[in-house]
Amino acid sequence: MPKHIFRLVSLIAGFLVVAIVAKPFLTVDSFYRFGHYRANSVTEIAGQEPVLQTARYCQDCHTERHAQWSASSHKSVTCEVCHGAALGHPQNGKLPIPKDAVKLCTLCHEAMAGRPRSQPQIEVGQHANGQQCTICHNPHSPKIAAASVKVAGNAAAGKQRAADCTACHGAAGLSPNDTWPNLAGQNAAYLVRILSAYKSGDQKDVAMTPLAQALSDADIQNLASYYAGLDCKGAPGEKAAGDVAAGKSLAKNCAGCHGETGIGSNPAWPKLAAQKPGYLVNALKAFKAGLRKDPMMAGVSRGLSDTDIADLAAYYAAQSCQSTK
Amino acid sequence: MNQEDSKPTLAARRAFLAKLGGAATCAGAVMGAATLGAIPAVSAKAPPDGGSFPTKDYDWTKHEWGFGVDATKCIGCLRCVEACKRENDVPRNAHQFRTWVERYVHLEGEEAVRIDSQQDPVNIEASGSEKEFRFANRYKDAKVDKAFFVPKLCNHCTHPACVQVCPTGATYRTEDGVVLIDHGYCIGCRYCVQACPYGARFFDEEKGVSDKCTWCYHRITKGLQPACVEVCPVGARVFGDQKDKQSPISLFIRNNRVQVLRPETGNAPNVFYVGIDKEVN
Repeated sequence: MPKHIFRLVSLIAGFLVVAIVAKPFLTVDSFYRFGHYRANSVTEIAGQEPVLQTARYCQDCHTERHAQWSASSHKSVTCEVCHGAALGHPQNGKLPIPKDAVKLCTLCHEAMAGRPRSQPQIEVGQHANGQQCTICHNPHSPKIAAASVKVAGNAAAGKQRAADCTACHGAAGLSPNDTWPNLAGQNAAYLVRILSAYKSGDQKDVAMTPLAQALSDADIQNLASYYAGLDCKGAPGEKAAGDVAAGKSLAKNCAGCHGETGIGSNPAWPKLAAQKPGYLVNALKAFKAGLRKDPMMAGVSRGLSDTDIADLAAYYAAQSCQSTK
Repeated sequence: MNQEDSKPTLAARRAFLAKLGGAATCAGAVMGAATLGAIPAVSAKAPPDGGSFPTKDYDWTKHEWGFGVDATKCIGCLRCVEACKRENDVPRNAHQFRTWVERYVHLEGEEAVRIDSQQDPVNIEASGSEKEFRFANRYKDAKVDKAFFVPKLCNHCTHPACVQVCPTGATYRTEDGVVLIDHGYCIGCRYCVQACPYGARFFDEEKGVSDKCTWCYHRITKGLQPACVEVCPVGARVFGDQKDKQSPISLFIRNNRVQVLRPETGNAPNVFYVGIDKEVN
């Protein structure tokens, strides 16, 4: 063999030997275990900690909220979509409550080309005068109850049927008693909704439940039309124990739905102006205790003390039942 | 030269070539085996001690993950993008995403479709920050013929081009059908970013490595859903085990006419789409 060929071959052989000896030292153990990659990297990636914790994680502490949310149309929007990832909560402090609801809610609900029709959407400029969404909607249960109830009853027929009601609610829909509500001039859609709730059992009252169960759907429509059409003038501003001025400032939180003086814009919600203060106190306490069920009212009544409730009742009772507009 | 003569010559030549080929193959095999050192059998999918891999509660031989996207349901809220960024520590900017959403809009009288995503300057302006994501209502006053949103992510292909081009074995396909990146072995050459026909990969300058969707491998191996699926409020994203015939993805594929993006590339993607037009790819 010529000398230069021999040198070349031995050089290549030398490289080979070095490569074979060095390879095991330079390759980590888990490489080639399953293929041309490091098996340990799979374990490393699989071992990372999840950041989003799922709604199940929130349920144990926020039981009540979770129950309300999971029964609502928003149950597909998980807690962490609005409140952020729960990793480190509660150890590292509270999760944020979104401040700008308009910005957040319109991410999904702004009317936009490309959104499927089944998605509830609003024209942002024409909805609620740019108010915060949370004024009227409870984000944990956003559907507004019976917002679109249509009332087409016969007031004359309602008057006849109302004979059973006069003992408590007065001959002209003005209650003689502080704890029973005035009905004269109340919103018809609200009356339909509340009577239907008594009839179905969604709302319970010793006196009202059996009476409402005896009513047909047509009776409910007629009664609502009758009472809505009555004049509420006979109900002057009632005096009550609470502080009217304090109630007025608290009532700003209620104005979104119930209006500044207790006369709201949506007929699905009750008028509160000139209502019996004792009834208002009882109703608010019932919402707070969960005896009356309404997702929105449950949320807003939660933070009210007994004094706040008395003040609010005094304020609304002192208002004129007729719209000033 | 006549035919009588040529026959034995040809036969001899063929025999010689065959022997030469065989010898070369043997030599190559010997050399190859010697160079690579003793390679353990690659076919062993589970650890020899009988435990499960990659974690003790999860055996990757029992799953075959798949992803579905129903574009007819997507509302373009981009909560998936937000959740993905948060879950996977993706850089908070408007040009690096593991998952993203595209909007396709046909305007009346226009031939070409208009396409934008959350990284479009108009949409960044509407969100008010590069760290927040929202679609601007930019076609509010236009006459829209047709419009729809399409969520996109890594397709976790059965024959991934990105894995083929990786020079270091830093990216690979797992037994349960997920394409992962070993950030410890990635040298940041970006071949894979170029090779992916779907633009699903990006380069993370801060970490110096390529990055992409993992189908939240750290979540799915713990029995959770990927973050984007978890937060989607309309069920436009579906995830599950294709080996389980009753899983959401199996039902999705069975009950819908599904398609994949760019099937002609031969990557065999595993994200199945419903409700998209030919412009989407």
